[in-house]
Amino acid sequence: MQILAEAEDLPKAANIKTQLISLWTVPVFGAIYVIAFVAFPGFLPPMSPNLSADQVAAFYQEHTAAIRFSMVTYDLLGVMLIPFFMVIVVQMKRMPTQSHVFAYCYLTAAVSGATVFALANIFYLVAAFRPERNPELTMLLNDMAWITFIAPVGMIVGQNLLLGLAVYFDRGPNPVFPRWVGHFSVATALAMAPAALASIVKTGPLAWDGLLSFWLRNGAYAAFLIVMFFVVRGALQRQAVEEGVAA
Amino acid sequence: MPGDVHMWVMVLGDLAIFGAYFIIYMIYRTMAPQEFLAAQQHLNVTVGVVNTVVLLTSSWFIARSVLAARAGDPERAVRLTYLGGAFGVAFIGIKGYEWSHAIAGGYTMPSSDFFMFYYMLTGVHVFHVALGLLILGIVVRELRNPRKRRTSMVESGATYWHMVDLLWIVIFGLLYVMR
Amino acid sequence: MTDTVEVASPPTTPKAGKRDVWIVFFIAPAFYTAFGVIFFALTRTMPPPRPDITTAQMVDFFVNHETTIQIGFGLLILIIGGAGIANGIVMYHMKRMSTGSVLAYSYMGGMAVGALPGCLLVAICFLTATFRPGRDPELMAFLYDLGLLSYVGSLGCFSVAYFAFAIAILYDRNEIFPKWLAYISVWQIVTEILAVPVFVSKAGPFAWNGSIAFWMGTVIFGIWLSCVIVFLKKATELEPVDSPPLD
Repeated sequence: MQILAEAEDLPKAANIKTQLISLWTVPVFGAIYVIAFVAFPGFLPPMSPNLSADQVAAFYQEHTAAIRFSMVTYDLLGVMLIPFFMVIVVQMKRMPTQSHVFAYCYLTAAVSGATVFALANIFYLVAAFRPERNPELTMLLNDMAWITFIAPVGMIVGQNLLLGLAVYFDRGPNPVFPRWVGHFSVATALAMAPAALASIVKTGPLAWDGLLSFWLRNGAYAAFLIVMFFVVRGALQRQAVEEGVAA
Repeated sequence: MPGDVHMWVMVLGDLAIFGAYFIIYMIYRTMAPQEFLAAQQHLNVTVGVVNTVVLLTSSWFIARSVLAARAGDPERAVRLTYLGGAFGVAFIGIKGYEWSHAIAGGYTMPSSDFFMFYYMLTGVHVFHVALGLLILGIVVRELRNPRKRRTSMVESGATYWHMVDLLWIVIFGLLYVMR
Repeated sequence: MTDTVEVASPPTTPKAGKRDVWIVFFIAPAFYTAFGVIFFALTRTMPPPRPDITTAQMVDFFVNHETTIQIGFGLLILIIGGAGIANGIVMYHMKRMSTGSVLAYSYMGGMAVGALPGCLLVAICFLTATFRPGRDPELMAFLYDLGLLSYVGSLGCFSVAYFAFAIAILYDRNEIFPKWLAYISVWQIVTEILAVPVFVSKAGPFAWNGSIAFWMGTVIFGIWLSCVIVFLKKATELEPVDSPPLD
């Protein structure tokens, strides 16, 4: 996006620039998330909930370095998606034919979702801190880590339903997001919802290592981020042109 | 005073913070000189020297870009900044190679106190180099824009970059050379 | 006709700042003072007790400090709203910058995430540990690790907030905060990076009680916080009383 010379010093231009920076956290940190994901020895393939305490303890003892590397990366950088979600909030606030209530609900849901992720992350790290701990306690931490990571999808589901609603309510002549984004958000929410059962079920597709709770949940989330990066980029471009900041 | 006051706050503060890290390093080294010496043998001094030369060269380009900016030749300043940045990128690449080599050799953060310091000091330094590349990018962007050209901006960027270089020289001295 | 010489009256400074913002402002230093007393004096979490002690010694820590931990953290969970308020007023002034809302929301989001794993979790763990004397020592050690690792090791949430704060200040044309405060915020991110080894080191400068990972981080945080409070006061004073409420 080329910022126009005359508009450079306006607050409107700074608003666009800061949104652009926040948007680009997705590819920059997304690449690092993928590396950390692959590096974690328990994601490919995902660890089974049916391992015994001794097997879980052995996992943490044999792969301590890789576990720490992966989870420290997520600790330091995992919350860096928040600015991207805040760009979506700002864009939702631009939708003229509705109050800003969906945007603010989206904001709180996004922040709460990030909190849940940060908590899961700490559980993995504490388990890997003293791998010689009593295996029952290591398994306790591992259970809490997996259940917290996979199952509390409610915030993300809420976020996406809110975004869908906002898009459907955006009836102006120049909608901020194209209408299919509403369908896509709702579909993402529905795709992730079943993972809540990973907190109860230990085998099959709904277990935390299963097709629905692990692969579909995380795949849908990743796909959402990738697609929305381009969608939001387009919306920002349109905003810049509309406000006379870019050509 | 070249550059702006804010950058000097950053530079002096950063130097103070790193100074504290270096003092703490020296204290721990003094407490276990044999262990540190033994661990240091596994560092490749040649790679360290190459990195030092690379960063010094980049600083030289950046210093010349400041002169070009002051002489009113923004195009040359931009070219020199690019060159300085390219050597900065090379520094990071060489550092990455060095780390992967050390890790492959089994020298990881928990290996010893020395290696913990090594990874943390070089790591936070690389973070500063990356930040410096961002700053140089902003310098280039502003130099290219006739409405935004300011010598003070180029000077600020150069001040930061020279700080990064200075920090590396001390790190090089402490970790690689001092035996 | 008498000649009157008009003497210009000295310019009177208008009553500075908005009253509701002042109320919120004063809560910030009050909260952090209480925070300091709680964490340093009462709960003995700053500086934290060592990671490299035996289970029996960890139990002793909880036994010896049971009363002050309960008073301190019991008080913290009552007044923790002050953290939200302190973050809120920073966000308020960030919204007055020319950079728009996205970074203000990101600051708030990062800090809000941090409130759970980075502040309340240690309170909950320590209150639970002191709740039932005579619990299995391994469980006490578990709570010890979980509390202290989460407190010192929650890195990314705060990094996002500092990142957003720094960028907003650097891009801001309304000069709400001085530019060098952005650089101090970058130092804060550096201290988060230097805390990464707490998940590996059990002793030395990089342990959770270490000179680099803990002490330097705390000192720099103290400097940052003091500067922020001073400049929040200035920003509150300089806000024109009659400026319209923010969007």
